Amino acid sequence: MKKVLSLLCAAGLTVSLAACGSTGSTPSATPEESTPVAEPVELNVFAAASLTESLNEIQTLYTDVAPNVTLLFTTLASGTLQTQIEQGADADLFLSAGQNEMNALDATYAGTEFNPLGLDFILSNTRIDLLGNQLVLAVPAGNPAGITSFEDLITDSVTMLAIGAPASVPAGMYAQETLTALGLWDTLNAENKLTLASSVKEVTAQVTAGSVDAGIIYLTDANAAGLEVVAIAPTDSHSPIVYPAAVLTNSHAPQAAEDFLAFLTGPEATAVFESYGFSAP
Amino acid sequence: MDWFPLLNSLRIALFSTIVTFFLGILLAYYVAKLPRGLKGLLDCILTMPLVLPPTVIGFFLLKLIGPYGSVGSLWLDLTGKKITMTWYASICAVIIVTFPLMYRTVRGAFEAFDQNLIHAGKTLGRSNAWIFWRVLMPGCTQGLVAGTVLAFARGLGEYGATSMVSGYTPGRTATISTTVYQLWQEGNDALAYRWVFINLAISFAVLLAVNLIERRQPRKRRPARLPAAG
Repeated sequence: MKKVLSLLCAAGLTVSLAACGSTGSTPSATPEESTPVAEPVELNVFAAASLTESLNEIQTLYTDVAPNVTLLFTTLASGTLQTQIEQGADADLFLSAGQNEMNALDATYAGTEFNPLGLDFILSNTRIDLLGNQLVLAVPAGNPAGITSFEDLITDSVTMLAIGAPASVPAGMYAQETLTALGLWDTLNAENKLTLASSVKEVTAQVTAGSVDAGIIYLTDANAAGLEVVAIAPTDSHSPIVYPAAVLTNSHAPQAAEDFLAFLTGPEATAVFESYGFSAP
Repeated sequence: MDWFPLLNSLRIALFSTIVTFFLGILLAYYVAKLPRGLKGLLDCILTMPLVLPPTVIGFFLLKLIGPYGSVGSLWLDLTGKKITMTWYASICAVIIVTFPLMYRTVRGAFEAFDQNLIHAGKTLGRSNAWIFWRVLMPGCTQGLVAGTVLAFARGLGEYGATSMVSGYTPGRTATISTTVYQLWQEGNDALAYRWVFINLAISFAVLLAVNLIERRQPRKRRPARLPAAG
């Protein structure tokens, strides 16, 4: 009994010493610039689905630049991300594939058709145009339907075309604009040939699986998935594809978010984006 | 208002329930007769879809009936048509997801059934088929009804697997569940609420009907009387 008691006391002392030791090193008021070890920061980045692969690469680059920053990416359709931000999601940065989704959260557009309710979720002075992209028509391996252009979509060889849902996926909105400009939208709708996906990545997956005859996605998605591109949408057939980016008002670490945003415009990140097919805005 | 999602959900649930009804009863009957080891194994396999996430089921199903899958490519060669991206694929998904519900409920009913009645039938020289249709099935009506209704209700509410194999084509493959998801993504709460209430109303009506059917069944408390001999 005595032995057990003494062992317990020894263990208790050791534990309390260890606890004292760790709390003893509370950070005194050291200025940020002089200490090389900054406080760990978690950044929640809401990014358009098409940025998935490039951001994953950039993440490994950024750990060398700012090792204390942990990046958490949520990559969904920009419209879905916009809805989540409006409903109070905790995020630091928003990288959208369309201007409308960003405008809806930008107080400078309050009262306009983009932001009728006057929502204020982004720091407007941090908003920049980050990237540009191209819209393409991609087909499954081997091009089973033998598609060579957008006009082939209304022929009988095509039974199903996948696009993003125009109301929530920018790629779907651009696709609708292009198909309307080419005079194909009404026919495709009347023949029920369109399947609407919840993100451009879902469209890519459907094309890769061969479930559809073709899909309208970004050039970068086709490159990342190794899909054959049979046509590129004429630039004047849709709104300019620009990816705006901004820091969110309820960000826990706005300075770290701005630093990461600045990194994304820098030469290293730009090289990664360009390797996937992104262009300057 | 576009009522197609309602019609589509109903027809998918209806056709799937018909298939699940017969398949569930068939397998419940034969698996109950198997030796313990094999019965346990088959039980696991047949109940698996109940505990698997619908996206896992959707994934496997895609690999099976997708254009590059074993069943899908065969069908493509035979008919020139793809199974995925149609409402037929939804039926396949819903059958898989609802089968365990029917199977477990019916098997429970079969195993709880008084075996003396079956033995009595056999001593009277009746065939197994006669016993099945005239003794077992009528005696297990409650279990059969419960299983069918559960399967139908679950089928009406299927989302994950259906979404993966059928996509979302308004007017062709849209169901109530995929429509609500789409409307939520768009931020169209008003229309989403409408569909939510429609779904609630249908589910409520179905479960209410089950309750009424169960109440009309006479409670078989007393031991069943054997048919008079001679």
